[in-house]
Order: sequence, then structure tokens, then C-alpha cells
Amino acid sequence: MIIFYITSGLFLGWTLGSNDAANIFGSAVGSRMVSFTRAAVIAAVFVIIGAVVQGAGASDTLGRLGSVNAIGGAFTVALAAGITVYLMTRAGLPVSTTQAIVGAIIGWSLFTNNSVDTKSLVVIVSSWVTGPILGAIFAYGLYPLVKVIRKRINVHLLFYESYLRTGLLIVCAFGAYSLGANNIANVMGVFVPSVQLQAADFGIFTLSGAQQLFFLGGIAIAAGIVTYSKKVIQTLGNNLLELSPEAALVVVLAQSLVLFFFSSSSFSAFLVKMGLPGIPLVPVSSSQVIVGAILGIGLYKGVRNINLKVLGSIASGWITTPVAAGLLSFFLLFFVKNLFGIDIGHSVKPPSAPLDGKDIGLIIKYSIIVLLIITASYLVYMVLAEKKKTDRVNKKYY
Amino acid sequence: MSLFTRTTREVTEKIDEFFDTIEIGILIFKEGVKAYVTGDQDAFQSHLKKIDEQENKADALQKSIENDMIVHSILPQQRSDMVKLLWQLDEIIDTAKGSLFEFYIEIPHIPASLVDDFISLSEVSANAAEELVPAARAFFRHPDQVREKLLKVYFFERETDKAGLQLKKKVFHEMNDLSLAEKAHLRYITHHIESISDTAQDAADLLESMAMRQML
Repeated sequence: MIIFYITSGLFLGWTLGSNDAANIFGSAVGSRMVSFTRAAVIAAVFVIIGAVVQGAGASDTLGRLGSVNAIGGAFTVALAAGITVYLMTRAGLPVSTTQAIVGAIIGWSLFTNNSVDTKSLVVIVSSWVTGPILGAIFAYGLYPLVKVIRKRINVHLLFYESYLRTGLLIVCAFGAYSLGANNIANVMGVFVPSVQLQAADFGIFTLSGAQQLFFLGGIAIAAGIVTYSKKVIQTLGNNLLELSPEAALVVVLAQSLVLFFFSSSSFSAFLVKMGLPGIPLVPVSSSQVIVGAILGIGLYKGVRNINLKVLGSIASGWITTPVAAGLLSFFLLFFVKNLFGIDIGHSVKPPSAPLDGKDIGLIIKYSIIVLLIITASYLVYMVLAEKKKTDRVNKKYY
Repeated sequence: MSLFTRTTREVTEKIDEFFDTIEIGILIFKEGVKAYVTGDQDAFQSHLKKIDEQENKADALQKSIENDMIVHSILPQQRSDMVKLLWQLDEIIDTAKGSLFEFYIEIPHIPASLVDDFISLSEVSANAAEELVPAARAFFRHPDQVREKLLKVYFFERETDKAGLQLKKKVFHEMNDLSLAEKAHLRYITHHIESISDTAQDAADLLESMAMRQML
């Protein structure tokens, strides 16, 4: 029976693979440097490794947002998120599984009269803003670095291209690993509290119950990558910005770094040890980060290269996805409970009436931070865009 | 990985060999014209044979490089420009070969007073093509130096135009002993020689834009 229930999670994993995984190697395939088949095979392998080895951190945070305490509820939540992502993918829109699962979990919390952990929600939603900004910053910093290296190493263009191709494959593998580590929480995170599996001892290593779930989720993601990610690549790889192979490398690397930082407990612990604030381990939307990274490249090259219409359509998906997933989750839970009589979970922590002062303070605090970040980013963007324009006017050919 | 490197090395070697072939072809052309106008028929026949071989070799290399680029997906985003560049470089040796064959088939009468003019015209036109090759080589390693190297191509192209103009002026204004048919024939041969530098200029324009994109 458990197998039947987790099929919705596997379906969500499949949609994640078909949609979000395209972000990892979409740029590389879009720039025609790496063939789809080669990229898909590499990504499929590394996404499973990342999910099993490093998937726990982000999954814990998602569990705190709303601990779905019955497998029937977990099934419905994952199904609602999966259907939402699948439909939006079919419509050719790059959507985020992170937003879909968050929306679906909130739908469950509302339906079962559970409170939503405001702090976890704020941390997750903040990552929706900081993720792409970090992606843009990394890309903006890495791109000129790659250009300088290109100038310094002085190799034949064809050899340089060959190295770039190898580099793309390596960062694709790293990106797939980070995606598996970070986004497996979206796929299997909701099942962790309600599905208890015995640890499996393989002699050399042991897989905990959660890791076994992550392994299954990883396989589902891999299946999505192989079977359905090509269409999304065509949307993302070509429409947003015409990417050179160097830019593709930078975009994938920037995105991989962001996903890795948001899922590595070791890195977060290292930062804390250095006296710096730790990075929250949250599932980050790879779709948002890739847009940020591409924007970073666009910013470096001059804003005129960016197709703002496509950018706008992607941004609108960020709002519609969680709302649609939340509503779908709510209605599906209603039918599953009343029509099939399946236990979809119960209220453990009813919401306090309606929000206490601490929650409101937290929301205001984070809203101000987010607002400041957006304003600062916009100002930096404007200054750089203006500088770029002036440089263009003044600059001669070389 | 070793497979990628081997293929890449093979293609770079082919590109270098293609450039070498073009350069040798241009040198043969210069010597061929000199041999014809000075009446050294044996040398001319030998150069004719050599340029034919070089042109065939350039054709084969061009096709092979194009195939490799498609099969191994080399320079996917610049492939069409690269193919065009190779085609234009090949066009230079084609035109050079065509010019020598014009001499061979039509046997134009070159008056003694025009020998130096023809030698000078063929040299300056071939120089434009000759200077294009280092610029094309630089594109693959130092795209920032391409423009600087192309300046010589543009210079020699202008010099060719001047030399061609002077030669034609001399034929039509000063050489009244020649028949109109002879004059027209000389003008035709002059145009053919000039077209080498024109083709080099077209290739230079393309190369310049490719280098600029590479630099961005």
C-alpha cells in the first residue's frame, strides 16, 4: 500500500526531473555544446547520488513548514504539486516544484486546521528572493573571470571549446548533484514523517529509511530528466537569452553553487564556525536561480540582450504555481477524505488566533529585509546598466 | 576525454594545413604570373600543375573540416561563419588558379612595356590574400590581434585597385599600337587578377566580424 501512496511523490519527482532538471543542463544543451543524451545520462546519475547523500537538510526545513502526518495526506499533497507542475510544464512554462510543494503543504495545513510555521515559511520564501539574487551575483562575478582565463591561457579556439565542453559536463554533474541534494525535499520530504522504513544495510554502507525514500525519488527525477526535459530545455535554453558556451558554463556553475550552498549542512556549519551566519537549508527553486544567473550574465553584457517578455512570463509562474498548487491540494484533500474516506492527517498545532504579535513582527522584519534586498539589487542593476550603456557609447571596437 | 582531444587536434591540424595550402597556392600564383609574362613557359607549366594540386588539396581539406565540424559538433554557434570563412579562403585559391588558367587557355599577349605592371599587380593582389592567412590563423589563438593584421589586407586591396587602374589607363590611353580586342583582353586579365584581392577583402570583412563577436 505504501508503494501506491508514494506514487504521487514519484510523479512529482518525474515532473521535477522533466522541468527543474532542465535548468541544470538546459543552457549547455541550448548552446549546442553538449548533446541532450549525454547531459541527460550524467544528470540522471548525479541527481540520484545527490538525493541520497545530501538530501536530508532541506527536507527537515520543509517538514517544519507543515509536517503531513498521514500518508494519505502526503499522497494528496504530492499529487497536487505534481499535477500543477505537470500542467504548467505542458504549457511550456518553466515552473518551480519548490513553489508547488510549498503551496500544496499550505493547502494541507489550511484543510486540516494546522498552523503554518511562519518562520519556516518566511525562510523558504526569502530563499525565493535570495536564490536568484545570489545566482545573479555569482554569474556576474564568474563571467568576467572566465573571460580573463580565456585570454590568459592562450590556447587554440578549438581546444578551448573542447575544454569548455568538458567543463560544462563537469558542472552539469555538479549541478545535478546539487539539485538532487536540494530538491529531493520537494519530492519525498512530505512522506518522511509518515513513511517509516527500516534501515537497509548493504555491508559497505547503510541507507536510512529517509534515504531509501530519497533514492526512489531520485530515480523518479532521473526518469523525468530522460523522458520529458527536452521541451523545457528548448524554452529555457533559447528564449531567455542567446547564451554563448562560456555563459552557459557560468550559468550552470552559478546555479549549482547556489543550490549546493542551500543544501550543504557542512558548508553552513563551516560558516557558523567562522563566525558568520549559517545558510538556511531550504529547497531553492532552480528555475528562479537560473533566471537570476542568466540575468547576471545579461547585466554584464548589457540589458538590451534580455528578452524581458519571457522573463516576465517566468516570474508570473512563481505566483501562479503556489496558488494553483495550494487550491488544488485543498480540493483534492476534500475529495480524498470525503469520497474515499482516506485519512489525510489531523490537526496537531491549530493556528493561533489569527496571528500573534511575534509572527507579525517576524513577517515585518523579513519583509523589510526582502524589500531592502530588492531595492539594493535594483539600484545596483540600474547603475551597472547605465555604466554599460555609457561604456558602449564610448567604446571603440577594441 | 582523450577522444575529444584527438578529434580536436585532428581538426586543428587540418585547419592549419588548409591555411598552409592557401599560402602556398598564393605564392605559386605570383611565380606563375611572373613566369608567364617573362616568357618562361616551362616554369609556367610547372606552376600551373602545382596550383591545380594545391587547389584540389584545399577543396578536400575544406570539405573534410566542414564534415568534422558537423559530425563532432565543433564550434556549434560559429559553424556557419566558419564554413563561410573556409569557403571564402578556398575561393581565393580558386580565383588564383582560375587566373593562371586564363593565361594558359587564352594566351594573352603581354607587351614588354607591361611586364613589370602585371608582375606588380599580381604581387600586390596576392599580398592582400597572403596577409589574410595570418589574420585567419590569429582568429583561433589571438582574436584581439585579428583587426590589426587585417589592416594590411585592406591596404593591399586598395593598392591593387590603384595598380589595376593605372595598368588599364596605360593600356587604353598610352598603347595605341594595340588593337581594341587586345586592350579588352588585357583589361579582362587585369580584372581577374584584381578579383583575388577583392575576395580577400570579403573574407577579411567576415573575419573581422567573427573576431569582434569572439571578443565580446
